[in-house]
Amino acid sequence: MKDFLLILRTEGSVWTDLSAEQLQIHIKHGMAYIGKLMAEGKLKSASPVDKGSKIVIGSKGVLTDYPFNESKEVIAGYFLVTANDIDEAIAIAKGNPIFNDIPTKIEVHPMKPVGGN
Amino acid sequence: MVAVLTKIFGAENLDFAEDVVQDSILAAISQWQLKGIPDNPSAWLFRVAKNKALNIVNRGKYIRRYSREATHFLQSEWTAEPALDYLFSEQQIQDDQLRMIFTCCHPAITPDSQIALALKTLCGFSIPEIAKAFLTSEENINKRLVRARQKIREGKIPFEVPKESDLKHRLQTVLNTIYLLFNEGYSASKGNDIVRYELCDEAIRLAEIISNNISIEEKSTVFALLALMQLNAARFKARQDANGNIFTLEEQNRSLWDYAVMEKGFNNLEKSTVFNQISSFHILAAISAYHCSAANYASTDWKAILALYEKLLQIDNSPVVLLNRAIALSKVNGAAAAIIDLKSIKGSPSFKSYHLYYSTLGTFYIETGEYETAIPILEKAINLAPLPAEKSLLQKKLDFCLKKNI
Repeated sequence: MKDFLLILRTEGSVWTDLSAEQLQIHIKHGMAYIGKLMAEGKLKSASPVDKGSKIVIGSKGVLTDYPFNESKEVIAGYFLVTANDIDEAIAIAKGNPIFNDIPTKIEVHPMKPVGGN
Repeated sequence: MVAVLTKIFGAENLDFAEDVVQDSILAAISQWQLKGIPDNPSAWLFRVAKNKALNIVNRGKYIRRYSREATHFLQSEWTAEPALDYLFSEQQIQDDQLRMIFTCCHPAITPDSQIALALKTLCGFSIPEIAKAFLTSEENINKRLVRARQKIREGKIPFEVPKESDLKHRLQTVLNTIYLLFNEGYSASKGNDIVRYELCDEAIRLAEIISNNISIEEKSTVFALLALMQLNAARFKARQDANGNIFTLEEQNRSLWDYAVMEKGFNNLEKSTVFNQISSFHILAAISAYHCSAANYASTDWKAILALYEKLLQIDNSPVVLLNRAIALSKVNGAAAAIIDLKSIKGSPSFKSYHLYYSTLGTFYIETGEYETAIPILEKAINLAPLPAEKSLLQKKLDFCLKKNI
């Protein structure tokens, strides 16, 4: 078993395109998806990203923080899941019902466990 | 329900979980008064409790009060609601009840407090109801509960089913407490009949939660205890009439026995033998089974029962067992032999204030026709008997002796 970080990226405007009813359905599907992962013991944590992201950029001790510049694309949130391998993690990502509602990219990053692989 | 909420808020916040349940029930009652009781009140109640929990979670005020396992999921907008849905699912509710049983019956808590806590959190008894069941003050019960909760907080008693290595030992504590609860209801020594029968019912229900749970494999003693309780509970209603008069096993109208409960008892007794293990619960259940399977008192297989008591004595030589063995002995070898047997163990100090010792001995003397000897013994028994119904039963025997002895 290995941990995988799933980062969801969408276009910022898409949420406003959904009607209240569509949004309701979207939430319902999302909850069911998360609930299933939880019951299977595959979900370690997950959260949407709130407004107000910042970015800290630094070099050789000079650090500056900027508002996180999201032009069109935003990070919608993350999932930390446990899976047997990258294929299962990809399958988990593909199962996310968000794809039905809005154009989304999900990055699947394997996490390096202690002591390496 | 308290069990589920304890999973969310942690065992150390047991009182908080209880408050949420209390709130839910109050909300339910006021709602039901307006709109009538819904089709499935318990599902309704769970939904209210879940929403209450969700509100609390959303308010975010009590973050430090969540149990460690649940904290993480309850803090994120994506996972809080699915986490609550999951925690309130049927399987989780059952698992949580099992965890709660082990938490309530932790050896660090005194048996008295264990029972009070189990009745409060698992059986939903109010403090006045528990006080009534134990014939003690509400203040007293409250103290027991406070002490128990304190122990859970300070002792950091976890909300979990013990690990394999501890399980057997911890399960035994749990079963002992459940049996104590059952006996509290069954022993007829105190309290109101209806409340007492509820105690028996609850004891059976708690044992059933354990027997139904798939996470415990070795359940031989659980089935044995269930069988024991059910085989006795089946006879509960034949033991006393509407006026509170007690009937001995001999006098009971066997058509009043609850054969549905009895059948469950027999089934569980059979399941208990699968593991090839023997405990005092097994033996006691087998003895009850012999009593239940006899068509009438006369055809009781006393020889088999005596053999079982002999076996039980090797595990447990308490006064109750010695007395019951003597009764079986009197049926097999006659009352005279039983008197000799009883007299040989009279020295045991716990016997001196035990009314059943004198009532049993007195009854033996009636059987051997030694009415004169029986009279002072029965008088002593009447003196010691705690319950009016028992006193009047003994008085009948005494009157019989006095008449015979003229």
